[in-house]
Order: sequence, then structure tokens, then C-alpha cells
Amino acid sequence: MARVVLDDLMKSYGNFHAVNHVSLTVEDGEFVALVGPSGCGKTTTLNLVAGLLPITSGDITIGDQVVNDLDPKDRDIAMVFQNYALYPQKSVYKNLAFPLQMRKLPRDEIDRKVKEAARVLDMTHLLERKPRELSGGQQQRVALGRALVRDPAVFLMDEPLSNLDAKLRVQMRSELKRFHHDLQATIIYVTHDQLEAVTMADKMAVMNGGNLQQYDSPAQVFAHPANMFVASFIGSPAMSLIPLEASTVDGNIVLTGAEGWSLPLSSFNSRKIQNAKTRKVVLGARHSTIKLHKTAVSDAVPAKAYTVEPTGDVTFVQAFLSGAIVNISVPPNVDVAPDEQIWLEFDQERMHLFDGETEMAIKAD
Amino acid sequence: MTSVTGQANAPRRPGPARAGTLRNVWQHRADYAYVLPAIVVMLIVIAYPIYYTVDLSFYTTPPSLQLRDKIFVGFDNYQAILTSEVFWRVTWNTLIWTFLSTVLSFALGFATALALHRDFIGRGILRAILIIPWVISAVAASYIWKWIYHSDFGVIGAILVGLGIADRPPNFIDSVGTVLPSLIVVNIWREFPFAMIMIMAGLQTVPDQLLSAAKVDGASAWQRFWHVTFPHLRNVSTVTVLLLAVANFNSFIIPWIMTGGGPSNASHIWITHIYELAFGRQRWGVASAYSVLLFLILMTIGYFYVRALSGDKKKDREA
Amino acid sequence: MAETSTARARPRKRVDRWRWAGRIFLGLMLLYTAVPMVWMLLTSIKSGFAAMQLPPQWWPAEPTLASYQKLLDPQNSVGADFLHFFWNSLIVSTLTTILGVIVAVPAAYAFSRFRFPGRNFLFFAVLLRNMFPAVIFLVPLFILMRWLGLVNSHGSLVVTYLTFGLPLSIWLLKGFYDNIPIQLEQAARIDGATRFQAFLKIVMPLSVPGIIATAIYSFIGAWNEYIYAYTFLNRNDQLTLPVGIQRFFSENTTDFPGLMAASFMMSVPVVVLFLVLQKYFVRALTEGAVKH
Repeated sequence: MARVVLDDLMKSYGNFHAVNHVSLTVEDGEFVALVGPSGCGKTTTLNLVAGLLPITSGDITIGDQVVNDLDPKDRDIAMVFQNYALYPQKSVYKNLAFPLQMRKLPRDEIDRKVKEAARVLDMTHLLERKPRELSGGQQQRVALGRALVRDPAVFLMDEPLSNLDAKLRVQMRSELKRFHHDLQATIIYVTHDQLEAVTMADKMAVMNGGNLQQYDSPAQVFAHPANMFVASFIGSPAMSLIPLEASTVDGNIVLTGAEGWSLPLSSFNSRKIQNAKTRKVVLGARHSTIKLHKTAVSDAVPAKAYTVEPTGDVTFVQAFLSGAIVNISVPPNVDVAPDEQIWLEFDQERMHLFDGETEMAIKAD
Repeated sequence: MTSVTGQANAPRRPGPARAGTLRNVWQHRADYAYVLPAIVVMLIVIAYPIYYTVDLSFYTTPPSLQLRDKIFVGFDNYQAILTSEVFWRVTWNTLIWTFLSTVLSFALGFATALALHRDFIGRGILRAILIIPWVISAVAASYIWKWIYHSDFGVIGAILVGLGIADRPPNFIDSVGTVLPSLIVVNIWREFPFAMIMIMAGLQTVPDQLLSAAKVDGASAWQRFWHVTFPHLRNVSTVTVLLLAVANFNSFIIPWIMTGGGPSNASHIWITHIYELAFGRQRWGVASAYSVLLFLILMTIGYFYVRALSGDKKKDREA
Repeated sequence: MAETSTARARPRKRVDRWRWAGRIFLGLMLLYTAVPMVWMLLTSIKSGFAAMQLPPQWWPAEPTLASYQKLLDPQNSVGADFLHFFWNSLIVSTLTTILGVIVAVPAAYAFSRFRFPGRNFLFFAVLLRNMFPAVIFLVPLFILMRWLGLVNSHGSLVVTYLTFGLPLSIWLLKGFYDNIPIQLEQAARIDGATRFQAFLKIVMPLSVPGIIATAIYSFIGAWNEYIYAYTFLNRNDQLTLPVGIQRFFSENTTDFPGLMAASFMMSVPVVVLFLVLQKYFVRALTEGAVKH
């Protein structure tokens, strides 16, 4: 196992920068998720690490070696692809044996390793089948086995679960996590599903438009999103982002909504606003940090319910506020009807404030 | 080599300038190894002859084709062609031949493919039989039909006489009026299966879901064909028609073997005429000039042909 | 009640009408296609005398295999020639096919996968070859072959045939490679293969159906080619079947049973080859040429 360092990595096509000055370190044995919407550069980054694409500039180090100019086969990596990329004409056994044959291992050792991997992944009975005779989950296992059998320095995984059905995906998610735990493997995992990243990864790198937005543990990213993009991308349902105007009333800082109401801020949050360069402030709040009242209370702002979605444990209410849609979760026994007048109270401790112009989180000092 | 990489190390990249192109070529040098054999063969057998034909079209050569004795005559060969009566006759024949062969082959092939699309007993065998004419050699086909058209013992003539339609077997390929249509029938016989195969392949790509959706929306069989199936066949139809047109424009064997262009040039088309000028009458320069004219016409068609064939050129995948 | 039943019956009747029209049409096409071939077979088993009668013998009164025996008898001069032509055709077509595959496969792969400068131009140039009739190239190629000392050799034919098989082969195979997921090669390269090994061990085996299709196409094209063979070859022992048969006919102008038998024998290999492997050909067309 090894650590992987990306240093000022660039991949450009003409004037288009698919990967733009990305630097990050994956420590030995760490599970890192590259997450972002499609086209954000996460798969390109993974392909650069794999050596499937030439880099434009920057350095990639795996272990102690700069691998910029090495062929994929010389980088000591294994990769699991979204469509599994199992060799259709080869049996499962031969699929697993292929990377070992390519490395010219003796036949009996290949046999031993293939059988060991098959045992670990519980697919000994599938060894003679062809990929097309396997279910999606089984194909996924074979793809994993083909990576595993090599004992590589780094595992690269490109959306390996996205072709599975929902139930299997959840199951494979925990298996992958267990797999990482048992092997202490270094894993770089690409996904567009923030939930996969949050549940499995030690660290997540949130990317957008070729740029690395934030690189931290899921808890930190969740609690302290660096900017509005990260805030809206991580968490489900998404964090509500409400554009407001900051002003001073009687010496106190308040945020004013488009409807004319104003929301006084706690002293901690006021200090943040004082540091901000702009009056345009975006208030970010997760559904669980907003309290819904059916009558007016102090420090609550008026809104109108739009839809009500009971899910069993919890009911999600969407409401219009200052031109934005706000998600609120309420206990299932709270009865709200569409178009009903409601009042929303924000938790000052857990609200996020963003600069409406730079879209960056506003810091307290 | 070093100069190329040296240029590439220049700090700023000046867009798609010369150094960038060279560097690009150099970076992809290994890729060219894959296409090199194909390109070399093509160069020898295509580029050189084209150059040679253009060159020769400005000369008169002795019949022996002893090239050191050739005489430069400028555009005389071209002038001779454009002022000759045969030229216009042959051009008219070529147009009729190409147009009718293409349109009818395509129409028959298209209709056959549609009729074969529905499953029925014996469909596979019927399809196989219908394809055979396309596979057998044009030489064999020419002889088969020559025998069928035979002015004394031909089977079609015998049938017509037997049915009382004609008093005596018609002279299909020995009379000026009927020879060209008779040959076109042979040509279509060989070519409609090609259109049929292409359209059958195209029909397989029509999504069943769309047809079902149209059915649910209340479209009749004809409406489903017109609104769903036909638009899906547009690309393949274009390609097929172009391929047929080019093949027909370039036909040689059927008229050459069956009639040799006769009687009195009634079935000569461009290619047979050029061949006869060159290898029959040893007028190499005139034949070359003819070829150049042909070449220019084909380049024009070729522009559309390549555009139709490479319909995917815009979607560049990253690789 | 009566109204609804007629309303329901009408559309079904229309569908039936279409179906009947299709059947009648297919019947006519079958006649058009099959009658010449059947007449060829019937003539080939008649005697020369029986073939030339008025009105014709619709069914051979005394069927005979004499024409076939003559063609296949190496002791007979006609048979010796015919077998020789057959052998020549076989050699030329096989060589053309093998070389064609060797050249077309890497080229098609490169056009499908690589983005090298000039790729589009070269691809168009290759496709353009199909535009030009043999006649344009005939005179200069004849001179070129004379200069290379290849006139009257099968080498001249193989080289020439290669070029007209290549464009369609490359085009069909490129479509085939376009449909093989690039991840398979990426996986192979990560598993330790070089780019070339990935091509050889993973992509090549997957493209076998496409290769078979292009091989059939090249073989049939070479087997049936006439103009170049007619121009480049004039020694009797070198001729291929189409030219040989033409020569045979110009010497025996009334031996129609013999000619039909020869036409039949000449068609058998390519027809059998095509019918056995046609599913690959249709598949290659569907995957390579028609889908976008």
C-alpha cells in the first residue's frame, strides 16, 4: 500500500481545463472519495492517476515514485470500472488470472491467488462462467476480484456501484467498506453520489468545473462546507440556500428577506457579517436545523408551504422563502397543508452564511 | 527530432500554430504505425495512378505505350472528347444507366426488406435466395442473362412466344432500342439485394419502444412507417443510394461482357468507352483525359459520399 | 353491435391487404431472382443439342452431367484449364483476404481509437478510394506493374485487390471497434498489458465477427474481379476464373450448357461462403455501418 500525492495537477484540452490545479494527498490506507456532478473532472482525475490519459502539467506520486510518464501497467494500481469492463470472451477464472498472467507469474501461483480471491469474495462456484452469465452484483464482485488478486499499491474505483439496483448498492457499499477495513487498502473512489462518499470515505474531495472545492473528512465537509456549491451538493435533501440582504437596524445586524421580514442574528453570526465584504448574504440551513411553527413566534419568519412529503419516519415540507425553496423536516404527526401559512425558525448555532458574490463561506474572523 | 521537442518546451503555447501541430504529430507518432500499411498501399495504387493519369492526358502516345515517344498536345485530348458525338451519346447512356439502376435497385431492395421484416415460415431461406445474385460474379451473371436474352433460344423470348405475346423471340440485346433497358434489368438483378441487406440492417435499429408508443398513440401501420421507421432509415438510405450510384456509375462488366457497348454504341457507358479507347484502340492520351473528367465528376459526388459515410465525425470522444 | 364489429373488422382488413401485397411482391421478387439461376442449372444439365431447341425443353428430357464431368476432368484440356483457373482464383482471393485483414484491422482500430492529427483527412482519403472506377487506375497501374515486372503475375492482382477491399473493410471494422467499450482496454492496460497487448489480447478476439465479415467481403470481391485480371494477365496458365470463363466462351460460342455449368461452379464457393457466414456480415453492417 502507498500514499498518493497529486501536486498542482492540470489536464487541459485547448482552453478547456478538465482538471484545474488540483493538489491533494491520499495517505497510505486511506479511502478517499472524489465526488461531484458529472463533468466536474473527477473521472478525468482518476484516469490521470491511472495513466490512461497523459497529464498536461503537475506531478502524480504513488509511493515514493513520480509516475507522470509511467504506463498504467507500471504504476502498480488496480481499477474497477463503472461498467466493470470484464473481458466478455474470458471466463471468470481467466478474468481474474489475466492481470497475473500479464505479470508473468508462475501458473501454480496464479491458480492459488485466483482461488484465494474467489474464496474471499464468495464466488468459487462462478469461476467457469462467462461474464454475460452473471448478475450485475456478481459481475461487480468479479471486477473487484480482478483488482484484489493483484495486491496493488492503490485501488482506483470509477463509480463501481452506480450500475447496481438500489438494494444491492447499499449492500455492496457496506461490503466495500469492510473490504477497505480488512485490507487497509489505499482507495481512490469516484462517485457522483454524495451519500456513497459520505458513508464510505475517510476523506472526500468535492470537485466542480475541474476545480477542487474542498478536501476534508465527510463530517467536516458536512459541518463546514467551504462554499455554496459544496453546501448544496453534500447532504440530502440539499441544504436550503436563501438569498438575503444584510443591514443594521438599531445597531443590530439583521438579514432582510424579499418579503420584507427581517431576521436578527446572534452575536457570533453578526461578527461574521461584519467581516463580510458585501451586503448580499446567502443563508444556508439544513432541513433538520429549521423549526416549523404553525403560528407566529418571535425570531421566526413567515413562509408559505408548497409541498408536503411524508416518508414515514419524517415528513419533508418544502416552503417558499425570499424566492428560494426551503426544505424542512418535521415529525410525521405535524399536519401541514400546501399553501398554508407557516413560520420558520433557524438554529443560529448551525446556520451557514455565505458571501452572495463570491459564494464562499463567511468566516468568523 | 530534438528541434521539435525543443520547440515544444517553449513556455507559452501559441494556440494551434506550427510548433503545436508538429508536437501533436510527434506525440502521436506511435498511432501512425497502425494506419501506415493501409496508407502506403493506398498511395501506391491510388495517388501515383491519379498523378499519372492527369499527366498522360496531355500527351499523345504511340499505341505500343512506349512512353519515351509521347508528344505533348496540351488540351487537344479534352477538346477531342468534348466535340465528339460519341461522347454525348455515351454520357446520356451513363446518366440513364446510373439513374435507373440506382433508383430501381434501391426501391426494390427497400420494399423487399420491409416485406421481409415480418417473421414468417421460410423467411430465412427466402432472404438467402434473394441475396445470391449480389454474391455471384458479374461475369457469371452476364453469361446467365445473355443466355436468357438469347435471340433464338432465350427463355424469355420463348415464354413470350408461348404466351402469344410475341410472334417471334425479341432481340433484347441486339437492337438499339432495347439493349440499355435490358442491361439495366440485369444490373438491378445483381444490386437490389445490396440495398435489401442495408435496409434490413437499418430496420434492426428502429427501437421497438418507439413503434409501440406510436401504436398506443393510435398511429396506423402506414403512419408508424412514415413517422417512426422511415426517419430511422434516413441515414442508411442516403449511404445506400450513394454507394449504389457510385457503383453504377463505375459499372463495367455487365455491358462489356454482354454487348461490348454495342450495337452502335447504344450500350456504351463511360467506363466501357474509356476502356475501349485505351485497350481497344490504344488511344491512351484520350482515355486518360476521359478518366480525368470522370475523376472530377466523381470528386463532386465523393464529397457528399464521404459526408454521408462519416456522419459521426463530429462526436470526438476523448481517447 | 353490428356497427362495432364492422368498425373493428375494417382496420384488420387493411393490415391484411398490406400483408398480401407484401407476399405477392416477395413472390415476384423470388421469380425475378430465381428464374435466371434455375434456368442456368437446367441448361447446365442438358446436352448442347437439347439446349438449342425451339420451343425450348422446359425440363431437360435427358439430364446429363457431361458438362460438369468435362470441367472437372484434369485429363481433358477444358477441364485442365478450368481447374487451373479455379486454383488461381483461390490463391489470389485467399492472399488478398489475409493481407487485407492484416492491413485493415490495425488501421480501423487506429481510426476508431486514436486522435492523431490528420486522422479525419486520412480516413476520408481511404473512403474516397471506393469512388473511383478501376478504369481510371488501369493504364497507370498497368505501366507501374510492367515497370515492377508484375504483369502476368498474381502479385499485381493481390496488391490491386487489396486497395478496393480496404475502404469498406476499414469502415466496417471501425464501426465495430467504436462499439467495443474503451474501458476494456483501459482495464487491460491497468492489469499489466501494453497498449498493443491490450489490442491483441482483448480487442482482437472481440472483433472476430467483424473480421469475418470483412474477410468475406474481400474474398468475394477478389473472387469476382474481372477488369484488372483481364488487363494484367494474358498467359493462359495465370488466368483467374472470370477471365478464364470469358476466354472459354469466346472459343466455344455455342456450348451454353458448358458455360452455364462453369458459371455455376464459379458461383458455388462464394455463395456457400456467404450463406454460411452471412449473419456476421449483416451484424457487421448493423453495428458498423448503420448505427450511429
